[in-house]
Amino acid sequence: MREGLKRLLPSALAVATSLVACFVAVSLTRGFGTALDAFAGMVWGAFGDWPRYLETGNVGAVLRPLGEAGTKAALLTFTGLSVAVAFRVGLFNIGAQGQMMVGAIVAAVAGAQVELPAALHVALCLLLAAAGGALYALGPALLKLHRGVHEVISTIMLNWVAVSLVENWLVVGPLRASASGDNSISGTDQVLPSAELPRLLGETSRLNAGFLFALLAAVGTWLFLSRFRRGYEWRAIGLNPEAARAGGIDVGRCLVQAMLTAGAFAGLAGAVLVLGTELKYPATLGAPYGFDGIAMALIGGGHPLGVLASALFFGGLRAGGTRMQLFGVHKSFPELIQGLALLLVAARLVWDRLLARLFKRKSGEEAARA
Amino acid sequence: MLELLTSLLSSVLDAAPPLVFAAVGATLSERAGVVNVGVEGMMRAGAFTAAVAALVMPTPAGVLAGMAAGAAVGLVHAWLCVRWRSDQVVSGMALNLVMLALGTFLLEAVFDSPNSTPPITQLPKWLGHSPLTWLACMLPVVVHLAVMRTAWGLRLRAVGEKPQAVAVMGVRVSRLRLGAVVLSGALAGLGGAALSTATLDRFEHHMPSGLGFMAVAAMVFGRWTPLGAAGAATFFAFGNALRIGLASSAPELLTVVPQGVLLALPYALTLVVLAVSGKKSAAPAALGTPYDPELR
Repeated sequence: MREGLKRLLPSALAVATSLVACFVAVSLTRGFGTALDAFAGMVWGAFGDWPRYLETGNVGAVLRPLGEAGTKAALLTFTGLSVAVAFRVGLFNIGAQGQMMVGAIVAAVAGAQVELPAALHVALCLLLAAAGGALYALGPALLKLHRGVHEVISTIMLNWVAVSLVENWLVVGPLRASASGDNSISGTDQVLPSAELPRLLGETSRLNAGFLFALLAAVGTWLFLSRFRRGYEWRAIGLNPEAARAGGIDVGRCLVQAMLTAGAFAGLAGAVLVLGTELKYPATLGAPYGFDGIAMALIGGGHPLGVLASALFFGGLRAGGTRMQLFGVHKSFPELIQGLALLLVAARLVWDRLLARLFKRKSGEEAARA
Repeated sequence: MLELLTSLLSSVLDAAPPLVFAAVGATLSERAGVVNVGVEGMMRAGAFTAAVAALVMPTPAGVLAGMAAGAAVGLVHAWLCVRWRSDQVVSGMALNLVMLALGTFLLEAVFDSPNSTPPITQLPKWLGHSPLTWLACMLPVVVHLAVMRTAWGLRLRAVGEKPQAVAVMGVRVSRLRLGAVVLSGALAGLGGAALSTATLDRFEHHMPSGLGFMAVAAMVFGRWTPLGAAGAATFFAFGNALRIGLASSAPELLTVVPQGVLLALPYALTLVVLAVSGKKSAAPAALGTPYDPELR
């Protein structure tokens, strides 16, 4: 347990440092008072407006922000798991963005065109989206195995292929919603009510069943990696592929399976976005949740539950970001906090060195006292 | 027909420089063995800084400031990857995310506008095009000669292939890599500056909208050589100009081949080239591996 906490320390320090640095940045541009207000706004918008609740007794003041945070956290969890799972076998899945777009467009089409009873319809849409994302991730895995093409390059290329084909062709071309009357509509047709993910808090918030799926996915991935034989094999490959091969593990097969899983998770992120909140494939997917997945995976230390924790935290901050707008800070500000935290996590060795020096000094002092 | 060709050529000359600079820059870093997927972020830093600096000083000085900003981001990347042996892909992607958010934040904080900076005086035109266009015609040749024909270039390439061997020769691996990545950042910054001072006359919030990744594609397509990368970048820019030209002059053709498919072509072609060349790929052997002097 102590070991686990120690591994968490660099991430926690990185996030804390990033928060402080970003606070200083706002103070310098907008003044200290405004920075305080803006950050307070972000926190209340992220984890519930408790002061307002205590003042007015309005539960919505707490539930609405929390619901929004959970909605964002669900997407971040899925893309974070996508990157983290690939990491476990030593692959870097930069392509979560593209796989998510494929999942989203598949879910949008299946949700609008197929007619089924509610539960079945949702299940079918999720399944197809996961399959779409997985298939889109299969290419890089095969290219890596058979042609030695680095997955970073191939997934970057496939991201842009997906953007071009989905958003610049399908959504504005063959799959564009038919205009009704005078108002032109952007994006694809609305999904049928039977394909919508049920809302968890009724009318209070957009929080939907996708959040529960994300929780399940994170816990399931953790159990799989820590308790199942195949999960053990994946981890062995990630630590040392040559040793794993020598130990009789079919490395190629595991790489393909891990990449398929990664693609499926990213595809599910797209499906949850479409079936949960957008209810169609919009003109553009908006925030690059696929790239955020890289941040979630790394800040979460590559551990499924770590991914979940960082997704909950940053999902919250990003929900709170809209409140910063009131103080002249762009609503994408939490993304700066997140990016800086990722950069600081990348500098892991710096932290290790710092912490080692700190602990050494401490133990040295203790020794001197004794 | 001739008219169409000259107008095409003219728009390629206008559109190619940002891509050419960035692609040539990416080549420098990767030939030294440091993966650079942070080109997008470096370009954004250059574009923003150049546009802001040009508000208070002559535009050419602003371009230099943009280069310096790109180099500064490159320095961060180099420091993390070379000094601290961080994961190069993570560092690059993190820089992209930071620059994306930082640009938006500063735009709102300094100019109270989520969309763009105030307009500046564009770079003057020489022979109908910006000076950067002509620089983009010469620079790849100069860099190519420097990388392929000079002692420095030989060391640079060797550091990307087998750093341990170069270290034995008494060359400082880390210093060489550091220099290459900073230069790479400066060129990406120049590419960004070209966007905001020559292509347009201001910094817009979405810049460089993926051009950095297209530059990486051009570098791969050009098989990791400066001239190849510049050629690929020009080819991609030509494809883009052709697409835009067709959209206005022959829209019926685009109903047969949709724009989105054309947009996807550079990336799809790069993938095909990679798949075909496979293990014989031109990528430097030590690309992405941090140099550890204790390993021999």
